[in-house]
Amino acid sequence: MAAVPQSVGGPNGGVDQAVPPVMVARDVSKSFGQVRALVDATFQVDEGETVAIVGDNGAGKSTLVKILTGAILPDRGSLELDGREVAFRTTRDSLQLGVTAVYQNLALADNMTVAENVFLGRVPTRWLRVDRRRMERESAELLHSLAINVPDVRATTASLSGGQRQAVAIARSFRSGRRLMILDEPTAALGVQEGQKVLDIIEGLKGQRVSIIVVSHNLDHVFRVADRIVVMRGGRIVGSRAKEETTTDDIVHLIVGTR
Amino acid sequence: MSPVFDTSQASQANNERSSRVRYGLRRYRQLWALLVAVLLLWTFLSFASPYFMTVQNLTNIALQSSVVGIMAVGFTILLIGGEIDLAIGSTQALAGTMAALLIIERGLPIWAGVLIVLGMGLIVGNVNGYFSLFTRVPSFIVTLAMLGVLQGLAFVMTSGQTIGGFPEAFKVLGHGRVGVIPLPVIIFFSVTVVVQLILSHTRYGVELYATGGNREAAVLVGISVRRVLMLAFIASSMLCALAGLVLSARLNAGHGSFGSESLLDAVAAVIIGGTSLNGGAGNTFGTLLGIILISTIKNGLILLGVDPFWQQVAVGALILAAVLVDKTIKGELAIGDLLPRLGRR
Repeated sequence: MAAVPQSVGGPNGGVDQAVPPVMVARDVSKSFGQVRALVDATFQVDEGETVAIVGDNGAGKSTLVKILTGAILPDRGSLELDGREVAFRTTRDSLQLGVTAVYQNLALADNMTVAENVFLGRVPTRWLRVDRRRMERESAELLHSLAINVPDVRATTASLSGGQRQAVAIARSFRSGRRLMILDEPTAALGVQEGQKVLDIIEGLKGQRVSIIVVSHNLDHVFRVADRIVVMRGGRIVGSRAKEETTTDDIVHLIVGTR
Repeated sequence: MSPVFDTSQASQANNERSSRVRYGLRRYRQLWALLVAVLLLWTFLSFASPYFMTVQNLTNIALQSSVVGIMAVGFTILLIGGEIDLAIGSTQALAGTMAALLIIERGLPIWAGVLIVLGMGLIVGNVNGYFSLFTRVPSFIVTLAMLGVLQGLAFVMTSGQTIGGFPEAFKVLGHGRVGVIPLPVIIFFSVTVVVQLILSHTRYGVELYATGGNREAAVLVGISVRRVLMLAFIASSMLCALAGLVLSARLNAGHGSFGSESLLDAVAAVIIGGTSLNGGAGNTFGTLLGIILISTIKNGLILLGVDPFWQQVAVGALILAAVLVDKTIKGELAIGDLLPRLGRR
């Protein structure tokens, strides 16, 4: 797979102003009973950009992300994908338009092979027959292109380590999410080394022209992979900083509300 | 390209083939073990009884496996998807009774009777699926209720009477032969092969295994889990209807109690055949070997002159043994766990 330089802006070839953001959420609100989980959140992700969303527990990160994938419906507000307004009613709607999420609990079917998991939901067929060879070949190529090291694509994912399983989930998401990938706490459940490997994979994705949202508690990890950091507190977006223009201190202050 | 993909075309193809064979051997280990068990049992019985290794006796075993086997294949499909159908025996009983009622008593043409009975299977599958998938009542409960409903209906329809005397053309379904092989055996074998081809090689199959393995994941990747499982419920009930037709043709009669034992045998066959109780794993060839093992044991007990009432005891014990062996192989159970250490907990 050829790596596309990320600075080249979309089909218009360099006319960056003409390229609409990949995803825009405008004034999105959501309440669960008395709890206002999300209040007038406005947020955008540009072409090829990696945005980190940080914030304390209950800040509204998960709610925002779930609205972006159609897992929950907002009470108010609108979403735009590539400049066109969209209304995701289910995760299948967003999936069809190239928006995918990797969830904390991984969502792999461990009874199935790596190749099957990479292709799950979009299994290729040939004369009604599942094309296993193609699945195995293409998933091996995909994993290789993302520098993901898995011993055998015909092994079941149950036999893999936590980091490898996370990597397979990311690869699947990358395959079907050509526009926007959302990674929810991709390193939270992993050891230090495995976490670093997953960060390497995310950095590798940045060369592949896909836009990424990373939700994380780990500011070291956030500073390593993100271009921009969005901070949430009490259901509101309280800050958005380019990585070069901010410090860990600054972000921490935003998170806890002392600035 | 990295060195991994540098190997020449020919050797790559060769590697792929041999690794596929090894993969097959590993993946189907349980199937080979079961086959060895069946062959050992056959060897033992052929020494223990002079009647065992006769064409007549082996045909009987195959014939006895067939009706329950057809149902067990349906049960396999559902269990792979993570659902269960306890009403298989009564669906089969109702099918046989309906066939007798429609074809013998009402004098309907055979094709019409067969179609109506299969239609009944379709409806029962939809009812099972609807309540299990849309009202979120566990299929265990839904189909337990249906077990009562359908069994009862089968008795009500004929006021508990046996209706016998099918036309010759219908009896072919139970008594016909192709060469030396009885038709029910051919039907059972075809069902086994066709279903496994669907499970192994179609998108539906992959989606069914995924649904059984991790239903949440299946939903998240966009698999229509309800559609997948609904089809599994329908397949199960329709195969039971088919089994009911074959049984009534073989017995030349229909009655609400025919096949009431078959739930135990079918479940035993599926579990011995290695289908996971948690869903997501299993295949119909395992089920086929499972039912042959059960029929052989029953047949062996008769040949050895054991009271036939012991058969149920043997099958029941076999289910428990199969589950324990399976758990031990998977490392979920150590032999030491079998002895409860009193006072520890």
